Amino acid sequence: MSFIRISDVAKQFTTPDGGTIPVVRPLSLDIEEGEFVVFVGPSGCGKTTVMRMVGGLETPTSGEIYLKDKLVEGPSRDKGMVFQSYSSFPWLTVLGNIRFGLKYRSDISAAEKEKIARHYLDLVGLTPFADYTINRISGGMRQRVAIARTLAANPLVLLMDEPFGALDALSRERLQLQLMDLRRAERKTVIFVTHDVDEAVLLADRIVVFSKRPARILADIPVSATLPEKRGLDILDHSDFRKIRRDVLALIRNEERSMEAAE
Amino acid sequence: MSSATVASEEARKPAAERNAAPPARRPAWRDVVTFRGPPQPGLELWLSIAAFLAVLGAWALVAETGLVQPQILPSPFAVVAAWGRLFADGYIGDIGISVGRVWAAFLASALIAIPLGILMSGYRAITALLEPIIDFVRYLPVPALVPLTLIWLGIGEGSKITLLWIGTFFQLILLVADDARRVPKEFIETGRTLGASDSSLMKDVLLRAMLPNMVDSLRITLGWCWTYLIVAEIVASSSGIGYELWTARRYGKSPEVFAGILTIGIIGLVSDQAIRYLHRRWFRYLQ
Ligand SMILES: Nc1ncnc2c1ncn2[C@@H]1O[C@H](COP(=O)(O)OP(=O)(O)OP(=O)(O)O)[C@@H](O)[C@H]1O
Ligand SMILES: [Mg+2]
Repeated sequence: MSFIRISDVAKQFTTPDGGTIPVVRPLSLDIEEGEFVVFVGPSGCGKTTVMRMVGGLETPTSGEIYLKDKLVEGPSRDKGMVFQSYSSFPWLTVLGNIRFGLKYRSDISAAEKEKIARHYLDLVGLTPFADYTINRISGGMRQRVAIARTLAANPLVLLMDEPFGALDALSRERLQLQLMDLRRAERKTVIFVTHDVDEAVLLADRIVVFSKRPARILADIPVSATLPEKRGLDILDHSDFRKIRRDVLALIRNEERSMEAAE
Repeated sequence: MSSATVASEEARKPAAERNAAPPARRPAWRDVVTFRGPPQPGLELWLSIAAFLAVLGAWALVAETGLVQPQILPSPFAVVAAWGRLFADGYIGDIGISVGRVWAAFLASALIAIPLGILMSGYRAITALLEPIIDFVRYLPVPALVPLTLIWLGIGEGSKITLLWIGTFFQLILLVADDARRVPKEFIETGRTLGASDSSLMKDVLLRAMLPNMVDSLRITLGWCWTYLIVAEIVASSSGIGYELWTARRYGKSPEVFAGILTIGIIGLVSDQAIRYLHRRWFRYLQ
C-alpha cells in the first residue's frame, strides 16, 4: 500500500439548522513516501478540509485514510501541521517554540532534544533571533518558527495550509526556496495547499487540482516528470513550467466560471 | 566621516535653512484632545492628579464653608482625624481581618474555579452538568443568602468566607471558561499535532495562552469579594472594616464612616494597581 492512502473519502458538514453541505465528494488519492504534493482549486472548494482529514483534525463522513498502513483516527505527532495564521506561541521565545515541537517526544534524551532544536533553529536561519519573543519578529520569521517546530517533532508527513499566504512577495519567494532546500535535506512527504499557481508549480512533484465544491479530483499533474527536481527561480521562465502553469490555471478558471454560472 | 566634513556640509546649506527653528512639534495637549490620539503619559498623569485634587478641593470647600452640615458631609480634615482615632484604637487589626477574609474566599474560589472552568471549556459533558446550576446560583442575590450562611455556619469566619465564596465562585468559573474558549483553535491543534495529551494540552497550551486574560478575570473577581465582604461584615460580624463602619454609623460618627469607606476604596485601588503592574511585568511578551 502506498505511504498515504486516501480511500473513497467524503465529507459533509452539518449546518446549525440541521441541513448538510457536501464539501468533499468520495475521492481517492495515493501519495508515495517523499512526494511533495500540492493541492490547488477554486476558493472554498474543500482543499483545507481534505488536508485536515489527513491530519486527523477532521473526521471523514465516509471512507478511510491510511498513513503508513495505519488508519488515521485523530491528530498525532506523525502528522505535522503548519497553519496559515500564526500559530507560534507568544509566551515562548523563538527557540522555546522550536523546543516545544520536541516536548512530547519520549524517544530521545533531553540533551538530544536541545541539539535537534538548535539544528532546526539554524536550518531556518533564526539562530540570531533565538531569544526573541514572537511578537517582536516578522511574519516570515514566524512562519519559519512554525516550520522548524513542526519538523523538530519529526512527523511522517508535513501538512501545510497556505503557509506563505499572508506574506509579502519577497518573503514568500525566500521561504519557497528555503522550503525546497529543507525538503531535499529531510526527504519529507509534504502536502501543501496554495492559491498561488506559480508557487504550486515551483514546489510540487505532483499537483492535484480540485473541482469546485463539493471537491473531486479534476487532474493529477506529475510535475517532476517534466521539470527537474532541483529548481531555482529561473525555472519560472522554463517553457514546461509555463505550460503546466497555463494548464492548471485554465482548469481552475473553468471551474470558477461554472461556479459563477451556477449562481 | 570627520567632524570637519560635517561642519562644512552644515556651512554649505543656505543661511535661512541653517538658522530656521526645527519644525514646531504638536503640543502635547493637542494629542490628548484628539480622538484616538497618540499617548502622552506625562500629561495624562497630570490630568489625573488634577482631577483628583479638584474633587478633594471641592469637597473641602463645601465642607469647610459650612454649606453642608458636617454631620452629612464631614470635611477631609475631620476624616483624617477620624483615621487617627481609628488607628489608635486598633484599626489595623480590623483591616487585617477583612483582608484575610477576602483573600481566603478569593483563593478558595480561584483554586476551584480555574480547573473547573478549564474543564468546562473543553468537555461538553461538564458544561452540560454544571451550567444550569451555575446560572441559577449566579442570579441569587448574595445578601439574601446571609441568613442561610448564618443558620448553617453560625457567626464565625466560616459563614463570611462562604458568603464571599458563593458570591464569586459561580461568576469566576464562567469567566475562566470564557477565557479558555477564547484561546485560538490553532494553538490547540498545534499542541495536538505535536503529540500533546489532553492533560498536557490544558497545562502547557491552554492555561499558558489564557493566563493574561485570566489574571484580569481574577482581578475583577477580587473587587467583587470586597463588595460582598462589607455586606457580610455589616450584617453578621464583630470585627473588620465593615463592622467598624456600621458601628460608627450607629453612634452618628460620620467622619469615621467616611474614613471606613475611603479605607476600602484605597485598599481596592492599591490591590488593583498592584495586579495591573504584575500583569504588565509577567506578560511583557504581549507588547
Ligand atoms: N466546520 C465547518 N462547518 C461547516 N462548513 C464548513 C466547515 N469547514 C469548512 N466548511 C465549508 O466547507 C467548504 C470548504 O472549506 P475549505 O476550507 O476546505 O475550502 P478551501 O478549499 O480550503 O477554501 P480556501 O480556498 O478559501 O482556503 C467551505 O464552503 C466552507 O464554508
Ligand atoms: Mg483553505
